[in-house]
Amino acid sequence: MQRRTLLKTGLGLAALPLLPRLAFADDKKPVGFWYESASPENQDELKTLLVDPFNAAHPQDDLSIDFRGSDLDKQLRIAMLSGSGPDVVFTAGPSYVASMAEAGQLLPLDDYAAKLGWNDRLLPLFMELGKYDGKLYALAKTYETLGLFYNKTLFDKNGWKAPTTIAELEALADEMKGKGLVPFGSGNADWRPANEHHVSIVLNSVAGPENVYKALTGAIPWTDPSILAAIDKLDEWWQKGYFGPNYFSLTLEQAFAQVATGQAGMAPSGTWSFTNIPTYFPTNNAEAAFVGFPSTNGPPVYALGIGSTLSINAKSENADGAAAVLDYMFSDKFYSAMNSVWQGEWNLPLKDLSAVKLSDKVLPLYTEAMKNLSAAVGAGQYGYTTWTFLPPATDTYLVSGMEEVWLKKLTSKDYLKKLDDTFKQEKDAGKVPAIPKRA
Amino acid sequence: MHRLYLVPTLIINFVIVLVPALLTVVLAFCNWDGISTPTFSGLDNFRALFADGVFWSALTNNIIWTCIFLVVPIAMGLLAASMLLLVRRGSNFFQVVYFLPVVIATVITARVWQGMIYSPVTGLFGLLSRMGLPLANPLAQPSTALFGVATVDLWHWWGFLCVIFFAALRQVPQEHIEAARIEGANYGQMMRYVLLPAIRPTIMLMMIMTVIWSFLAFDFVYILTQGGPAFSSEVLSTLAYRHAFYDLNVGQAAAAALVISLFGLVGTFFYVRLQTQEGEQ
Repeated sequence: MQRRTLLKTGLGLAALPLLPRLAFADDKKPVGFWYESASPENQDELKTLLVDPFNAAHPQDDLSIDFRGSDLDKQLRIAMLSGSGPDVVFTAGPSYVASMAEAGQLLPLDDYAAKLGWNDRLLPLFMELGKYDGKLYALAKTYETLGLFYNKTLFDKNGWKAPTTIAELEALADEMKGKGLVPFGSGNADWRPANEHHVSIVLNSVAGPENVYKALTGAIPWTDPSILAAIDKLDEWWQKGYFGPNYFSLTLEQAFAQVATGQAGMAPSGTWSFTNIPTYFPTNNAEAAFVGFPSTNGPPVYALGIGSTLSINAKSENADGAAAVLDYMFSDKFYSAMNSVWQGEWNLPLKDLSAVKLSDKVLPLYTEAMKNLSAAVGAGQYGYTTWTFLPPATDTYLVSGMEEVWLKKLTSKDYLKKLDDTFKQEKDAGKVPAIPKRA
Repeated sequence: MHRLYLVPTLIINFVIVLVPALLTVVLAFCNWDGISTPTFSGLDNFRALFADGVFWSALTNNIIWTCIFLVVPIAMGLLAASMLLLVRRGSNFFQVVYFLPVVIATVITARVWQGMIYSPVTGLFGLLSRMGLPLANPLAQPSTALFGVATVDLWHWWGFLCVIFFAALRQVPQEHIEAARIEGANYGQMMRYVLLPAIRPTIMLMMIMTVIWSFLAFDFVYILTQGGPAFSSEVLSTLAYRHAFYDLNVGQAAAAALVISLFGLVGTFFYVRLQTQEGEQ
């Protein structure tokens, strides 16, 4: 009798781990979503603006977010390789999507896109960017652009105007140098790939987006004279000291803070820097401003970047639930709520932002910049950021190789030759992300 | 029957050491992005690695790193340990002080040096520069980046050697030391004829381990410079990491890891030989 009781107890205990699954089998199906690192405030915002309302609106699903930190990418790759991983897959950009789709780890989203109306709701360009081999595998979670931040108070004081051409930019930078200011407040001490912000800027503003498109599609090599001129221009700015003496010592945030204090005049940076404006500008009694980066041939070019993408795991046991999560996110309501409290990370590529209502606390400058970017993308007047459109090894080399040019360990020609060789190898291996045709 | 006690250890070694090691060897001969199915590529990864100038500069940096760590922290450790032995007053306090950096997490040590010492904005170097003593951040100069990182690692590391050497020195028979003192030996003579010969096996062991550890150097380089500027502080492990996790070229990363292992194996050979000799004695 005693032995039988013991056996029953043992079996009961052994079945304990299965209980949650059995419970879910009856009512709720879990939807797992692994997220990268997020501050405690941002984690709360995800809970209150995504998890709780989604679960309330979808009684059959149970969404949970697992914060995996900065190693998300590595953990995800190992998990996906072993056939596990989350239902909603967060990747670092289109180049990762291509490899994962090729390996059959992602679920094609075309049916969901048609059924749930994503094709009508999202900017077509981003639907193209999420494709591999003709099928849709990913939706852009956030998109961004590069431009020129500047200290408007400093500009007004000195009678300066925001530059509209490269020539004006250089004249202004020279004047700033003459006054002992650093023209470009920038640094890469915490994020070495910050180099490619500047490479992306000159590629689009000096070589032009058409030439970058040709290089990305293999119509011209990366050693083309137009690309060479762009890299030479960036090198010239470095040698003239536009980036100041502490580029390798300053973090992105420290460098941006120098613009607020008036030690630096301008900051060529991305829309993610908007989050730093409330921290540094009001305390220095300064006003920030942002314009598109001037180009050689006329109006500014908005280089398009995708910070991260969202997909569905091919092995997901609740793909419908994962699709419902994506559907919930790509809506005016979620866009408005999330961007009101957390700007820069949730700039979802919605086609129509007219129904979006952001909180009064959001900088009008940010709202305006995002509307300009959305309009430019909608009209096909966009450029290319290297971290979005280049395959991984080419992109990594682009970052470190540029330092070799700046520090005179390599000529621009040799740099581009190696870049071109690496690109060709990756292109042959099918690692170049989808490049949508230009309008 | 008692051999069964070895089974758990063997299983752990097989799963955690042997399988990943063999997989690394296999992957070094494969083309793999870490996502799709690997394909056999022969010696392509090694050819690509050896044709890359960055590999050779990383290897050179590893050798420079090894030389630095074979000399500076060992000399500092020996000097401090002998002082602790000969001047007993306050030796416990100094042992704790010297050992403290060892127990601080690497990332904190690195960030403290980066932000509070080297930084031109928030660091001591910046403060001195503003006071008219211009000091450039060593991490920002290609010619000094590796030495700047090595300095931080040295600060973190030498206390460990000091404590190890001190422990070894305390095993030296007191009568030898007293005899040398009575004979009028000065500090240099005491070190040369009494202390160093007595702890030679410990020094040798630490030197061999230094060679092995130097080729595994990763954390401080990665946190402080990520191998830059312009690859000037790149070492083999950061090169392998970049290939694996940024270039998505796991095959070439495995090839670089094998090169690192080669140096480790040479060190291990000498280590095992030394241990055998000691055992025989």
